Amino acid sequence: MIVLPDAAWVEILAVRGLTTVQDAGRPGRMHEGVPPGGALVPELAARANLAVGNGHGAPLLEVFGGVTLAPRGRSLAVATEDGAARTLEADEALDVPSPRGLRVRYVAVAGGLAVPRVLGGRGTLLVAELGGHQGRALRRGDRIEVGSSALARERTSAPLALDTSRAVRVFQGPDIGRFEAGALDTLVSEPFTILPTSDRTGARLAGPVLARLDGDTGRSAPMVRGAIQVPASGAPIVLGPDHPTTGGYPVLAVVARADLGTLFARPVGAAVRFVLADPGDRTAAV
Amino acid sequence: MGSETDGLALGTRLRACEGVVDAVVTEDRVCVYFEPGAVPRDLDRALERGVGGASATPREVIVRVSYDGPDLALVASLSGLPAEDVIRLHAAGVYVVRMVGFLPGFAYLGGLEPRLVVARRSVPRPRVDAGSVAIAADYTAVYPFASPGGWNVIGHAQGAEMFRSDTGALLRLGDRVRFERVG
Repeated sequence: MIVLPDAAWVEILAVRGLTTVQDAGRPGRMHEGVPPGGALVPELAARANLAVGNGHGAPLLEVFGGVTLAPRGRSLAVATEDGAARTLEADEALDVPSPRGLRVRYVAVAGGLAVPRVLGGRGTLLVAELGGHQGRALRRGDRIEVGSSALARERTSAPLALDTSRAVRVFQGPDIGRFEAGALDTLVSEPFTILPTSDRTGARLAGPVLARLDGDTGRSAPMVRGAIQVPASGAPIVLGPDHPTTGGYPVLAVVARADLGTLFARPVGAAVRFVLADPGDRTAAV
Repeated sequence: MGSETDGLALGTRLRACEGVVDAVVTEDRVCVYFEPGAVPRDLDRALERGVGGASATPREVIVRVSYDGPDLALVASLSGLPAEDVIRLHAAGVYVVRMVGFLPGFAYLGGLEPRLVVARRSVPRPRVDAGSVAIAADYTAVYPFASPGGWNVIGHAQGAEMFRSDTGALLRLGDRVRFERVG
């Protein structure tokens, strides 16, 4: 094996909770059952990446618990989602503690993580054991190659526009007719909280029951990130980046695309209030 | 919606429209995904030709099955048939891919013998093995990956790769599937 003089790896020294490699997603494969993927909170991932001169969607670590890592081979610029970059000497350990006030953290390295592109994306899809580092969650001792930072852009500090206390805008969903009158009013007037069972497939919420009119019809329909599915229990699930591409539960409402980040960034136990979006509000879509 | 091969053609046409990222066609819905800053044009035309347009030729795939699933006895009991008849009827069917979704490469196969139509398990299993051949309502399917699941598992596919990380899903809308009993 030829080792280039500037070759570098990140070695995982300790992992607490789920840590995977994620990127900007795997678009255009939903018709094969492949979810869109991508960072759970793209705004936070972009902030870490931009701080070390990467493109906003470069492969990086998505950390639900905490992680300790060290560069091998050479020094390396790293940044977390707070947007502050620092240079680690070779073998200098960095401990990234568990997120506070956030569901996930991100750790970017200059040059990005050089994992293979699989079906158009480099992120980990756990259910299909593909992408990222060997298609799985990271564990102690893993070594991940780092890409060349020769093409690095200027490091930028993106302003953080994520306010995780504001109301989350929703549009009325396609299955409103399968709910009792008033279900949408309940959704946008009562508070909900994020349950610990929330993951990359969806944020599961506790709150008032959103009453349905019918049982599960068994007819599955296409799904989208942000769709608020309501199972028979009446407790809603907001679909995340690794959501099943089709589903049979009725969709009461859909979270505005611009507000997905503020929802999925919220930690377990955080409050969520929904508000009806103005259908003409173009800022909700982008 | 017309036939499943019409659905395949419709999805292909929609995905070819400028600005469309993806399109998913299920039995009674079509969902088109696009970047919000660039609303695609030509969707109306693609949709107008949705029924009765040019159809792709469906492929036929044979999946070899060992009928040794944990719910075989349950399905036999629910259907009032001997287990041997459940196996014979399932293996005699010619199935068509009605939609692809849920998991990567998971194809909902229609055409199940009416006597084999049974409800999902009341409590889903936390883990259904990859390769499990299962039935629920009027569908049958092969699980491409291990996953939680509520379908009744009657067998296991042998050597079938329903999804590959280099080529994607084996089955497309409209493809025909037959099961061949082994073991």
